[in-house]
Amino acid sequence: MSEQICEEVLVFICRNFIVEKSEINLDESLIDQGIIDSFGLVEINAFINREYGITVKEEEMNRDNFGSVNKIVGFIERRRISK
Amino acid sequence: MIERNDRCTRCVISSKFPKVTFDETGVCSFCRGQMFFAIDNTAIEKMRTSVEKLLSSEKSGGEYDAIVCYSGGKDSTYALQLAKQRYGLNVLAFTFDNGYLSSIAFKNISRVTESLGVDHLTFRSSKKNIQSIIRASFLQPIYNPRTLLRISSGCKSCISIVNNLTLKLALEKNIPFIITGFTLGQVPANGIVFRNNYRFLEESREESLRKLIEIAGSGVESYFRIPERLLSSVGPLPHTINLLCLEDVTEQHILEKIEPLGWMQPHDVDGCSSNCRLNAFNNYVHQRIFGYSPYELELSQLILKGLLTRKEALQKLSVDQWQECDTIRRDLSITDDDIDKVATVYKDKW
Repeated sequence: MSEQICEEVLVFICRNFIVEKSEINLDESLIDQGIIDSFGLVEINAFINREYGITVKEEEMNRDNFGSVNKIVGFIERRRISK
Repeated sequence: MIERNDRCTRCVISSKFPKVTFDETGVCSFCRGQMFFAIDNTAIEKMRTSVEKLLSSEKSGGEYDAIVCYSGGKDSTYALQLAKQRYGLNVLAFTFDNGYLSSIAFKNISRVTESLGVDHLTFRSSKKNIQSIIRASFLQPIYNPRTLLRISSGCKSCISIVNNLTLKLALEKNIPFIITGFTLGQVPANGIVFRNNYRFLEESREESLRKLIEIAGSGVESYFRIPERLLSSVGPLPHTINLLCLEDVTEQHILEKIEPLGWMQPHDVDGCSSNCRLNAFNNYVHQRIFGYSPYELELSQLILKGLLTRKEALQKLSVDQWQECDTIRRDLSITDDDIDKVATVYKDKW
């Protein structure tokens, strides 16, 4: 399941932020890698809401959950399980 | 075969637009749905319902229901009109005066706020501070090039200031909504409505902000930051709503709605602005550095939605106001050589 979610997240990021998969380090912050800016976070947030029906709470929007692609995937999985 | 000027034959994306490709008929990958995610009408309808629910239920009970970022341009004028007349909100209009607004824009602001009967606040920055910010934005690689796909660096700095000042004002006055006049293409479709998460967002833009303040001076810091004591003293942060993204309207429709309020088209601005004289120079710098206009994506989005013809979009891109550009270039003491130096740095970053 996590592989599928990771693939879906990567497809969104690659297409929306004009980046190749090979350019993304899955364990590093997308902001630190220069792939997205603060508005990019808003977009990823909206993508998660639309694709997985998860509303990201204000306190969940932090580096632990959004600090890398792998952390985003982990966050989606945890929230899906707890739904 | 790509037509003259290397533009897409359907929209106005040019061949210099990052990572764009063209098929054999000259249609670009954006038009073919291979770049970015288009939001379908069902998703837009969902967002509209969510916005309507938010605006009808969550009134502050305070002095104002919403702040409208009001530049005096046609789009924010229409957003102000919608907020007041369609949604029935008690609004506070807020204008950031960067020192380069057209004199007609000021007249428009005065006539429109008077006609709609809304309160209005202006924040005018000192010339020294704004010039330091604009110069730093143009002459240093402050921003990541990916963040400059649909906006010039000068505009990005001004909009950051507007976002910060309006959020500060919303927190101080306990106002639950911030309404903007951005259209689809200017902001991504995924960002029509969102709740601010200032601390995390600030952390994410820390690097560019640090560079900007380092160059422009600590005097400009308060334009971009919100004091911790204010952040920690308030409840949930306000929602930002890009109201115009929900409207399928043409420019002609907007003009027909706002002209009765006394709005008039300024003549000292470029084809893509209806309030700011600096925009022409912003576009010139962006085009010189990156080779394409920061408005290509926005105009193309409007063409794809059937709200603008390709001919109209090309006309907008061709009104460049060289005279204004020269005046501003002298005012900011910026040469083409200065711009070319930044272009070299950015070239290596893509």
